[in-house]
Amino acid sequence: MNRMLSREPVGQGVFFSSVSDPKFKHNRISVRWIMPLEEESASANALVPFLLRKGCRSCPDFTQLEERLCSLYGASLGADTSKFGGYQMMGVWIQSIDNRFAIDGMDIAGESARLLADIAFDPKMGEDGLFDAKDFQLEKTFLLDAIASEINDKRGYAISRCVELMCAGEPQAIRRYGTLEQAKGVTPQDAARAYNRMMKEASIEILFVGCGDPVPVKELFRGIFQGKERSAVDYLPCPRKERGGEPRETVEPMEVAQGKLVLGLRTGPAIPQQENGPMRMMAALLGGTPSSLLFANVREKMSLCYYCAARYDTVTGLMLIDSGIEGANKQAACDAILAQLEAVQKGDFADDVLEATRLAMVNALRTTGDSLGGIESWYLSQILQGEEAAPVEEIAKFQKVTREEVVEAANQVTLDTIYFLAPAGQKEEACHE
Amino acid sequence: MNKNVIRSQRLGEEYLRIDHPTGLTMLLCPMKGFSSAYAMFGTKLGSVDTTFKTDEDKDFVTVPEGIAHFLEHKLFESEEGDAFERYAKTGASANAYTSFDRTSYLFSCTDRFEESMEILLDFVTHPYFTQATVEKEQGIIGQEIRMYDDDPEWRVMFNLLGALYAKHPVRIDIAGTVESIAQIDADLLYRSYRTFYNLHNMVLVVAGNFDPEVVVRLADKILKPAPPLTIQRKSPEELPQVHQRRVEQKLEVATPIFEVGFKGTPSTPAENVKRQVLDEILLEIIAGESSPLYRRLYDEGLINATFEYEVMGGRDYLAPLCEGESRDPDQVFAQLCSEVERLRREGIDPEAFQRCKRASYGRYIGMFGRVEAVAGLMMQTHFAGMENMYQLVDWVADATLEELTQRLWEDFDPQRAALSVISPAREG
Repeated sequence: MNRMLSREPVGQGVFFSSVSDPKFKHNRISVRWIMPLEEESASANALVPFLLRKGCRSCPDFTQLEERLCSLYGASLGADTSKFGGYQMMGVWIQSIDNRFAIDGMDIAGESARLLADIAFDPKMGEDGLFDAKDFQLEKTFLLDAIASEINDKRGYAISRCVELMCAGEPQAIRRYGTLEQAKGVTPQDAARAYNRMMKEASIEILFVGCGDPVPVKELFRGIFQGKERSAVDYLPCPRKERGGEPRETVEPMEVAQGKLVLGLRTGPAIPQQENGPMRMMAALLGGTPSSLLFANVREKMSLCYYCAARYDTVTGLMLIDSGIEGANKQAACDAILAQLEAVQKGDFADDVLEATRLAMVNALRTTGDSLGGIESWYLSQILQGEEAAPVEEIAKFQKVTREEVVEAANQVTLDTIYFLAPAGQKEEACHE
Repeated sequence: MNKNVIRSQRLGEEYLRIDHPTGLTMLLCPMKGFSSAYAMFGTKLGSVDTTFKTDEDKDFVTVPEGIAHFLEHKLFESEEGDAFERYAKTGASANAYTSFDRTSYLFSCTDRFEESMEILLDFVTHPYFTQATVEKEQGIIGQEIRMYDDDPEWRVMFNLLGALYAKHPVRIDIAGTVESIAQIDADLLYRSYRTFYNLHNMVLVVAGNFDPEVVVRLADKILKPAPPLTIQRKSPEELPQVHQRRVEQKLEVATPIFEVGFKGTPSTPAENVKRQVLDEILLEIIAGESSPLYRRLYDEGLINATFEYEVMGGRDYLAPLCEGESRDPDQVFAQLCSEVERLRREGIDPEAFQRCKRASYGRYIGMFGRVEAVAGLMMQTHFAGMENMYQLVDWVADATLEELTQRLWEDFDPQRAALSVISPAREG
């Protein structure tokens, strides 16, 4: 039994990491290709996982593939792309129940691993070296839909618009699927090239989390990469702007009932992971828990909103604060949020709130190990930052953060961008004179 | 105090049922190896409980829409401050939610379980509302309602429920409307509270890392015996037919979003849970990723990977639902209905039945591996009047083609189906 991460290379630029814990009923295996986010390749890369999800050489028909997942006791096979700082992560993963629950003695874990390996590394590409033409057309159309549909989730849309405006020219401004224009231009050749490039240049991270035995799975993947020449890119820290200049404001009207206010802030020079405790505590104290200053004041005292939250991204150094409000309350909400930030900068908060934040963060870290998805995303984030610390090992970091350090961290924070998705037809005044 | 151990041979697992002298049922499932404990204190009061009385009340009262949810928000407050502030001292992550037929208050913690449990038992059993605190909440919940007004997935579902049901209160939004919550006052909140927050109408469930003896000790200390009571609920009579065949709303979305619902045939609450389980297998046979229909719709570009399905079931309602994005929702609806017609005519493919049953079996087994899912299942099955949550797995394992065929006829009638569409506000 090994509840800590065990990690080793199984090929050039290919790592296999595993966490085993007998309390689980599932095994989850994921494969991720990690590439620098670039405008030219973002859409073609993003299309790849969706194409892979359609079938593989050993199981080329989509319906047949789905039947196979059913026979693996309802195993779920996922595929998608996400962003991590200045990186784009293309992924496919499978999750299935443990062998001990099979009625017919099936090796569910082994078969799931083989299926995932085929999906990821033995795609059904034709003799022309391209993905199936019909799959390509359909998945391209759906990728376009997915990009256009980002507007459906107004809160998420407002946040990504704010980041886009704030970080124009920086890699993190690029969307995970790219833009409509870029996606429209993707050809079948581009998609095939993107996959081939991922196989050659991406850092590949394979993670196994579950109750089963990771060793045969590791050997399976080792076999696939044996003797393969690759030239994988190294993880580099994301470039960052340390301070905001004169705050810029953008108001975009839309036919919505509720306005979405997003404040984008910068948090100073890059902080080594071991030392980011104060900044993370500061963000949580400001707006990460129900005892945070934003929740207690902007929501509970002023009744301006249902949610008002702050999040801090350790990788990019961006802090985003967002809230859903009446169009007419924009100025009041903006002032209230900045007043709370100023309160933290002046040390004007109770010791109780600091301790509550600490307890909440420790609780969240201890809970991470109770879910497969939680463990997977934790370690993925660790690996991408060049670390391998277990969630509980991070606890000590928060135990020693002092009030002075939190205040100091808050004083690194500067406002950069204000974005407001405004209910059309309602008038608001500028946030800043 | 009555104590029973409830076991599953199949999973080799068990939990404890305690009938506490105060009238509260406690379901406790310690789970080895987990760091967190997940506790929920729930009452059988949801958004559908709009007209009710106890045996002591003379007349029925009809309360404003959204009151159960409003009450949930308000219960966090007491004269000494709010429950979030108290939890802040223990580090627990706390929340609450209101659904169609229940309200639950929950926390998750990895440490200081006893203190958090004490807070939970205490604040839920001590209501405190004043006119001023009620008015403050109207602003907050007003923004919660506005947020959902802009959420196309929320809107498509409630529009669908409004089309399926003419009178049943499941058609109304859980949070009510800005207008309806304006009518809520402290007296109405107290009346709802007195009726439904009686320990006989409640359950405490805990799963994960905790000691059951601690829970019993705290219940002994904090809870007071509740007088037995009978709650009468009044619901307007709902006819089997759908209210409207098609509803449409325009919102700022890119591609049209649709949801199709079949008005199922509800029975007793426990039987509804069983029907929900069986209808899920059926939905997978009809429209799951391995079905011929899914393949056809996908290849024609009529649905994409956002397509999903679920069965919504509760005390006295049951509705299999399919949703997703489509350029032509009416075509998806038509094809879905004709596939159901075909299966009714030709019978369910036995191979598809075995395959989907097996998939469902694996998914249900998997649910017992997460603390929050175990807590949820204990609460759901208890409120449905079932004595053993593991029965869900047995229902899947024992499902027969005959049972599914009967469900196909009772819960999937194309004549009793409706389509809800959210279409783009701007042509694009």
